[in-house]
Amino acid sequence: MHLKKSLLIALALGIAAITAWELYWRSKGYEPGLEDTKELWAVQRSRVDHATEKDIVLLGDSRILFDIQLDPWEKETGVRPIQLSSAGTTPLPAFHDLVENTDFSGTAVISVHPIIFFFSTNETDFLWNRIKSRIDHFYTRTYAQRLNHILDIPLQKTFTFMRADDEDWSDDLDLKTLLGNVRIGDRAIGGYPPFYRFQDIALDRNVKMFDKVVKDTAFANSIIKVWTYQGPEPMPAPDKTGTTAYFLKDLEKFKARGGKVILIRFPSSGGLLQFENEVFSRENFWEEIVVAADVPAYHFEDYEQLNQFYCPEWSHLSAQDASTFSTELARILIKDQVINN
Amino acid sequence: MLFNSLSFVLFLTIVLILYYAPLLNWTNKKRMLLLSSYVFYGMWNPPLIILLWISTMVDWTAGNQLNQEERPAVRKMWLLLSMFVNLGFLAFFKYGDFLLENFIALANAAGFEYQPYKMDIILPMGISFYTFQTMSYTIDLYNKKIKPARTFLDFALYVTFFPQLVAGPIVRAKDLITQFYEPKKASQNQFIWGLFLLTLGLFQKVVLADVLLAGTSDSVFSPGQTLSFLDAWTGTLAFSGQIFFDFAGYSTCAIGIALMLGIILPDNFMYPYASLGFSDLWKRWHISLSSWLKDYLYIPLGGNRHGITRMYAALMITMLLGGLWHGAAWTFIVWGGLHGIYLILERLQKQYLPFKITKWNGIFLAFTTFTCVNITWVFFRAREFETAWSMIKSMFFLNPEGAKILPTFQMIQVLTLITLLFLTHWGMRNTNVKEVASKMSPALLGVGWAVMIFLILIAQGTGEQFIYFQF
Repeated sequence: MHLKKSLLIALALGIAAITAWELYWRSKGYEPGLEDTKELWAVQRSRVDHATEKDIVLLGDSRILFDIQLDPWEKETGVRPIQLSSAGTTPLPAFHDLVENTDFSGTAVISVHPIIFFFSTNETDFLWNRIKSRIDHFYTRTYAQRLNHILDIPLQKTFTFMRADDEDWSDDLDLKTLLGNVRIGDRAIGGYPPFYRFQDIALDRNVKMFDKVVKDTAFANSIIKVWTYQGPEPMPAPDKTGTTAYFLKDLEKFKARGGKVILIRFPSSGGLLQFENEVFSRENFWEEIVVAADVPAYHFEDYEQLNQFYCPEWSHLSAQDASTFSTELARILIKDQVINN
Repeated sequence: MLFNSLSFVLFLTIVLILYYAPLLNWTNKKRMLLLSSYVFYGMWNPPLIILLWISTMVDWTAGNQLNQEERPAVRKMWLLLSMFVNLGFLAFFKYGDFLLENFIALANAAGFEYQPYKMDIILPMGISFYTFQTMSYTIDLYNKKIKPARTFLDFALYVTFFPQLVAGPIVRAKDLITQFYEPKKASQNQFIWGLFLLTLGLFQKVVLADVLLAGTSDSVFSPGQTLSFLDAWTGTLAFSGQIFFDFAGYSTCAIGIALMLGIILPDNFMYPYASLGFSDLWKRWHISLSSWLKDYLYIPLGGNRHGITRMYAALMITMLLGGLWHGAAWTFIVWGGLHGIYLILERLQKQYLPFKITKWNGIFLAFTTFTCVNITWVFFRAREFETAWSMIKSMFFLNPEGAKILPTFQMIQVLTLITLLFLTHWGMRNTNVKEVASKMSPALLGVGWAVMIFLILIAQGTGEQFIYFQF
């Protein structure tokens, strides 16, 4: 057996093939970038264990993830927040973890996305389970997984073909997604629209929306289709009583040890804002949680500095607007002495 | 640490550099391998290395005593001590929750309200493998089949050798410890072949099992659904392929890595899906476990030495316990029981309805065996009986209104791959990868190897754990 020859051929062809693959995807406009993995989240979560009372933790769904930019916030407040929000997740399990499993007594900024916040407290629900699995991973991750993450970061930053996120975007480049996009016939094909990646994430989980969402209306519309998709099952009624009670119980304990909470209703636009106002009216949801929580609360509609923005895909701010929004929000909070600078 | 992870690539590179750099003598190389093996295991959960140490110390001590001691009663005591510690670990860590759950169910059925706190015991990775391996050492010494390891280092490395520590092959002392006595170094061809086997194993795991089959199997075996005939069969076949590629992939990696160090590990899979009957299957599937069960359970239970009834009983007990070895759940026991029934029926057939296997009826027999094996996989994969029964009903046309949940392309993908798997096993029945590779032109082998490398890289595996780690 001439194994040395086979090995050399394998290496040469393997390198050539993967180089061609990389160049092909770059020629299609893809760029390398980090993935919002559970390990990336866990690294930020571990920062909470060493946080002081001056620190700020951001909790909630993708709106706080996109709309708070860490640089301008830090510039205004002198504190770089710990970004623990996660797309498509309720803040309740992460806040519960913060209260029950840490001594953190700083400030928690919590997004109140009406559809998500009041959804349910059922651990098997998608919006709960997604963040719960990240919390669980933080506690169960092995040293090998931590090392894998450290080794994976430079590769993610270098190679486009490595784009494959926990979110399972329709334009991920891993083999499973590529094969999953092949369709023959209409057997068991769900109506869920394709969901393309529309943001970049940094090591500290600062998220910025792609400029493409602002510039390419068709692309923005593809994301709007996802927000407005109505599955085969009707949306269950919100569990306002259960979610509020769950949150207030943790809030009471957090306040008792000196922790501060700020509730924020981030901007939304278009048909989504209309739907939110109709189904989750401000009076019945936002106002009630604010009164019950008795903590500083800020609704974007109430402030001239915050209500000037239009979300290009109806739910999140563009990178540039998010930067302005973060600066203005931080200034309001400082002015109200809710946080210090 | 998983073979299909970046940390393992770094780990193996460092181990190979230290192993082949002219820095260490053979004893120090073995110390380095032992330390590396503890690091390999500890990267998952460091405190559980203590269990490995206890198992190592107990069997080393018991082994030495068995070698020196001649009094039967004392020898038996040392053997029982080893059994007690190793099986005790298994009973507590692997079966603790299961035993408690069943005890509660029994107590409640008898009218006693008993509801203790759930123990939530962590299952130490690979405990079923290394406890069986160390027990085989002590039992072989008790039976005076082997000599004790020359040094504690040799024995500790035998228990802990990282390529096969967490998912086998379960290697016998006579096959591995003796290899540690003399300096080992892979020849250039051995090293490259080891690298090829590592690539092949990773390809089986990352591409075939995780990318092409796992998703289908997971969808179909999700509880609470009633499926159509086609979906149920496709999902079962997907699992059948997934578990083979996952486990055989691990064994192939282990054999390849060991070979890169100049150490030979035995084959663990020999194209089992082309088996001609069930006794043939168990000579081809997880060979190191089935031979362990045969030597240390079936034969001590009497084997075929005490008449037919006793033989069938021994066979059934062996298969039931073999099922339980795979997991602490009644579904695994049913899986083992079905295989026990298959083996008994096969022996009855050979006794009362014998026929000659030819090349014409062979593939039909292999296909029948494969089909029957697939039915057992339903119980192995389903987490609860309700799911298993629903699947079985769908597979036998008893759920005509079952849901269609698999898209056409996914079904084509699975059915094509499983057909190729079956035909490959049939074609490879009487040969092996090395023999086939040796007949290939180096260029063709290189191209095939490159394709595997490319597909592994673009598969972007998320570091899925090997299925057998949980056993």
